[in-house]
Amino acid sequence: MIDLARPFIQIRGLSHIYPLMDGGQAVALQGVDLTVERGEFVALVGPNGSGKSTLAQHINGLLLPTAGQVWVDGLLTSDPRHLWKVRQRVGMVFQNPENQLVASTVEEDVAFGPENQALPPKEIRRRVDEALEIVGLQDYRIQPPQMLSGGQKQLVAIAGALATRPACILFDEPTSMLDPPGRRRVLETIRRLNAEESLTVILITQSMDEAVATERVLVMHEGRIVMDGPPEEIFEEGKRLWALGLDLPPAAEIAHRLREQGIKLPTGLLTVETLARALC
Amino acid sequence: MLIRVENLVHTYSSGTPLERAALRGVSLEIRAGERVGILGPTGSGKSTLVQHLVGLLKPTTGRVLLDGVAAHARTTEARARRRQMGLAFQYPEAQIFEQTVFREVAFGPHNLGLGEAEIAARVRWALEVVGLAQAAMEERSPFTLSGGEMRRVALASILSLQPEVLILDEPTAGLDPQGRRELLARIQDWQGSLTLIIVSHNLDELARVVERAVVLKEGEVVSDGPARRILSDGPLLRAAGLDVPQPVALLQTLREAGWPVRTDRLLPEEAAAEIAQAHRLLEGGA
Repeated sequence: MIDLARPFIQIRGLSHIYPLMDGGQAVALQGVDLTVERGEFVALVGPNGSGKSTLAQHINGLLLPTAGQVWVDGLLTSDPRHLWKVRQRVGMVFQNPENQLVASTVEEDVAFGPENQALPPKEIRRRVDEALEIVGLQDYRIQPPQMLSGGQKQLVAIAGALATRPACILFDEPTSMLDPPGRRRVLETIRRLNAEESLTVILITQSMDEAVATERVLVMHEGRIVMDGPPEEIFEEGKRLWALGLDLPPAAEIAHRLREQGIKLPTGLLTVETLARALC
Repeated sequence: MLIRVENLVHTYSSGTPLERAALRGVSLEIRAGERVGILGPTGSGKSTLVQHLVGLLKPTTGRVLLDGVAAHARTTEARARRRQMGLAFQYPEAQIFEQTVFREVAFGPHNLGLGEAEIAARVRWALEVVGLAQAAMEERSPFTLSGGEMRRVALASILSLQPEVLILDEPTAGLDPQGRRELLARIQDWQGSLTLIIVSHNLDELARVVERAVVLKEGEVVSDGPARRILSDGPLLRAAGLDVPQPVALLQTLREAGWPVRTDRLLPEEAAAEIAQAHRLLEGGA
């Protein structure tokens, strides 16, 4: 039962406080309000320690609010009866693929999630094959994951998340350990999942270039969402981003500097291609 | 410290079906005070090479000499030289074990037998370099920090050793943009004869720090020379599975369109200056 009228993720007044060993507290989130619709492709950026990962872990119920509420597909994460359903709807892929692989072959690894859902073997088979095909690793089914490249390992982790048929996947810096070809492949796969499989995607990243390729950028700072808009708007505010400890994509920085030198350029130039076109 | 790598070959699982040649005859000399970037795709042998530099691996054939002494030798001389080599691995946070940030960063200097005042000074300095200078931070447990903060602590605990040769394997992965800028700027400001070796895929970032680039591909050195030349060589970089720095890519597109620009401007500010100058020329001529 999916209620299409209802936002997929709704967060109201969310705060999260971690207790510290010396008896003190670390405030990781303070009063976050956020709505994400089905099928959105959202980038979550912000300095280290700004609360990005904490926020993501609230969306699949790995963490529960100190104050406030989180609804996923209308299910309140803090209601113990809903927790399993929430996790079924929201998958997670982390930074380091090495820590996520558990089995001795690629297909067994991908089957781990559906097996835990106690699905019939035929259904598991179908889901594993489908997930491996979506990420393009069908030929690696019986290989040990250890023999794959970093990028391929990350694709196995994505297939593993897909095999549980989530409506949304949270990616926590999934490319920061990968080389450029691996990074491109993982990002293309994420974009395709969003465009073709209507997956809701929340991508935590330190790369402003990756944020440029999404539809909506959320900027976090000290446990709050301080900016929220399409990349073309967010990356026009170079000075504000620098003050927040962030950066512009290199092409946007060049455009910014050219404007300062009096060269007239339209706004929203975030890539080498668009900037070159505007100049020529 | 003079580092000489002579015809270094490293084969993993030699004589088994899993045999894999990671390095196939690498020769390289790195002099004191150089700032060298080592680049190449996954599997090109970068990590194997840096493990040889600090004596963690024994060459299958060939030699690695630190001021003339074999890096992996079990002699007092070799140990003394290895102590001058600081290597921060790709996942440095996996090395964290102490209860407070201060003790974590003080661990190395403490083992060197330094006095308390010197240890404290080095810890403060190293935490400042990685952008964690707040007093409250020193007494935090490293395990309560965010992923990026843990990475900074782990880097600080290598910096506090103040080695002669600092080897950083993807040092800024997982750091936020400001953290990256500050870390690289502080390392550049480091006084003295520090030799810096950075292994990275991020050429936009390497361009800011290194003066020499060594490109590895399938266990061999395919290029070694000034960073400005190598990091602006599109065909070479693409063949090695690397991305051309964005300023260079932009300048190359403009040059193909007939703009009078040099393409070896690696940084956004350099590229912007180059483009602005060409723009004025074109406007003036029109």
